[in-house]
Amino acid sequence: MVLEIRSLSKSFGGLKVIDALSIGVERGERLALIGPNGAGKTTVFNLITGVYPVDAGKILLEGNDITALPSRYRIRRGLARTFQNIRLMAHLTVIENVMIAQYPRAPGAAAMLQPVGFGRANRWRAEARAALAEAGLEAYADEPAGALPYGIQKRVELVRALAAAPRVLLLDEPAAGLNAAETEALHQALEAIARRGVTLVVVEHDMQFVGRLCSRVVVLNFGCKIAECAPRDIHADGKVREAYLGAEEHAA
Amino acid sequence: MSGYLESVLVLLAINIILAYAAFLPMVAGQLNLGVAAFVAIGAYSAGYLSNSFGLHPVPAALMAVAIAALTGWLVAFPILRTRGIYLALATFALNQVVQGTILNLNVVGGASGYPVPAHIGFPVVAAFSLAVIVLVFLAFRTRFGISVTAVSDDERVADLMGLSVRGVQSAAFTAGAALAGLAGALYAHHFNYIEAQNYGVLFSIYIVLYVLLGGTQTVYGPLLGAAVFTLLPELLRGSAAWRYVIFACLIIAIMSLRPQGVILKRAWFSK
Amino acid sequence: MLEQQIVNGLMLGSVYALVAVAFTLAIGVLNFLNFSIPGLFMVAGMLTWFLLRAGMPWPLAAALAIASGGLLSLLVERFTYRLMSRSEHFVPLVTSMAFLILFENLVLIVWGSDLQRVPLPFESVSFKLGPTVVAVPQLVGLACAVLAVALLDLVLRKTRIGRGLRTIAEDAEVAIMLGVGVGRVVPVVFLVGGLFTALSGFLFALNYQQASPFMGEEIALKGISAMVVGGMGNIWGAILGGLLIGIVETFSIHLLGARAVDISVYGLLLAILFVRPTGLLGGAVRQARV
Repeated sequence: MVLEIRSLSKSFGGLKVIDALSIGVERGERLALIGPNGAGKTTVFNLITGVYPVDAGKILLEGNDITALPSRYRIRRGLARTFQNIRLMAHLTVIENVMIAQYPRAPGAAAMLQPVGFGRANRWRAEARAALAEAGLEAYADEPAGALPYGIQKRVELVRALAAAPRVLLLDEPAAGLNAAETEALHQALEAIARRGVTLVVVEHDMQFVGRLCSRVVVLNFGCKIAECAPRDIHADGKVREAYLGAEEHAA
Repeated sequence: MSGYLESVLVLLAINIILAYAAFLPMVAGQLNLGVAAFVAIGAYSAGYLSNSFGLHPVPAALMAVAIAALTGWLVAFPILRTRGIYLALATFALNQVVQGTILNLNVVGGASGYPVPAHIGFPVVAAFSLAVIVLVFLAFRTRFGISVTAVSDDERVADLMGLSVRGVQSAAFTAGAALAGLAGALYAHHFNYIEAQNYGVLFSIYIVLYVLLGGTQTVYGPLLGAAVFTLLPELLRGSAAWRYVIFACLIIAIMSLRPQGVILKRAWFSK
Repeated sequence: MLEQQIVNGLMLGSVYALVAVAFTLAIGVLNFLNFSIPGLFMVAGMLTWFLLRAGMPWPLAAALAIASGGLLSLLVERFTYRLMSRSEHFVPLVTSMAFLILFENLVLIVWGSDLQRVPLPFESVSFKLGPTVVAVPQLVGLACAVLAVALLDLVLRKTRIGRGLRTIAEDAEVAIMLGVGVGRVVPVVFLVGGLFTALSGFLFALNYQQASPFMGEEIALKGISAMVVGGMGNIWGAILGGLLIGIVETFSIHLLGARAVDISVYGLLLAILFVRPTGLLGGAVRQARV
């Protein structure tokens, strides 16, 4: 298993948000994490990446226990993510945003002081530019990220996450807010990434998207795993229906 | 070169160093109202070293830079645990405490001022200033340059992207302190007299304001800000107070119309 | 002796308290550190000197000095908060700093840099309270400060304008959605702050019989310390903080000499910021941007 969480628990101010959750992810797998709003999906990502400390349980990356590892070191171990609300650095250009994520591949004070800003031929810049070109975004390379349209920013975020050369990529609602054409382009991009050997864990609400991309689905509700199966079997699962429809009844 | 022109150019050179001293923490998202404190530490340390130990002013200045940097680094530990307005207030408090402390140190003259006879001439001051400009330009073409802005834009994500937020912030703060110390040491040895009364928070405010005038989005902004602040009074004959009145009005106008400063940014690394 | 120091400290503290209230209103309601406040303090103090020296009857001088604070404050509002909706959130703070510089230098041009002696328009009366001497004008000053804050507290809690202010303090965007006339209510914060600050400047000039273009820097800036110590955004905290700072200053002069004041007052500010940034009466730490 490339990524494993064992009996993970987290409470915020007395409210148990994640309850003894265990999920295993195999190398090269495309796993979807679904559930009603508030089920704890983004919290799981936040715990795995180290945004919050866990209350109990373990997180293992490629067999190594990273539960206590400070968040900034986890990306060096090959774990990258994108965000539900786009979190690009508004005052940096697109290419600079991508280059930020290159740091974990060559960390340290000497790397900090590398004059990457000089000359077109600098290898880190060239690499970032090539990655943008591959994603069809080269035209935006020198634009400040904050001013770009939503769809473009989402694509840039993906390129940025990949710049860290991750082995496991956590995607938080990558298809949110995209139209049909953009969603299709996203699917193609993620297929290509997965084919390169990157393991994907995707939080999504778009079940069609999940069905096409992912081989396995884990369903969360109230911080617990309530089901785990192939995408096509989701509709048949009684507990899942209750989680979604039950939630709808309460809202009504 | 006439004495008058030389003193203007020396002031310009020193104000440029001061501008970058404030600029570095500001790009990292820290409003450092304590710049004047580090200027004072640099000025008084250098003065004391050359007065009491007979050190040649240039090595004294360099040692003063080290002292200012070390102080900045140590102070950064508690100060960088605060954010935003609390950080600004903490640097403000630090400034007043340092000034108050120096006013009580009779060994360096206390409230009566401190003469520093050893002299550094214009060419050396200019050389230091140019070196600072080059260093800052180089620094912002390294990964450090974009890391500083990243940390200021979004601390949480910068951390998740692998940056040591604390490290970057501390480096910016310490480097700012070092540059401020350098400016202080040079001033002390060129004008040969320093007074603790000049190093209150208002001095920090002037520096921060003219950096914002030029704009903090590029490395050129501080240069423009320092130039306007230094050369404005020379263009308008008048008392020092009038110069500040006009400067203040300029700031109010700029903040109303173009708050990012005069020089806007394209990128740290352009094509 | 000790009691006398405490009494002196409380008298001085009332000056700080009023300024602290002005600071804390701006921080609490508008999330804005208003650096022009020391400028307003100084202008009121200098005006008091100028008018009294010219022989104006003191109630009229008081009214004019206090009104100046209100008017100048509204001018500052026009160029700071009015523009806060723009992209850069530091704009109001920076502009308020520019106003401080503007006011200080304009006064330097008009009246020079000397410390001026303020003539006392009436016989100074004092009485003995046990072992201590209490000067009546200073006592009146303290009473004014407490009264003014009590009045403000009443306004904040009972009137529509007060509710509007408290709503804006909670969440400015929600306030707009709820129809709070932000454009009418915000100037009130500035006006009240300006009046309080000017009152403080007037009282200081009268009670300590001195005024200078630098009194903003030297005196009113300590109001920031009082604000933070008492708890940012809390007007009773401002009173408490002000009185505390006044006592700290008085004891510091008494025990360590006049030049140790800055170290004590601002050292306390530094300590509070590190140890308990919410201050004595403050609530949760607001993620206040500069």
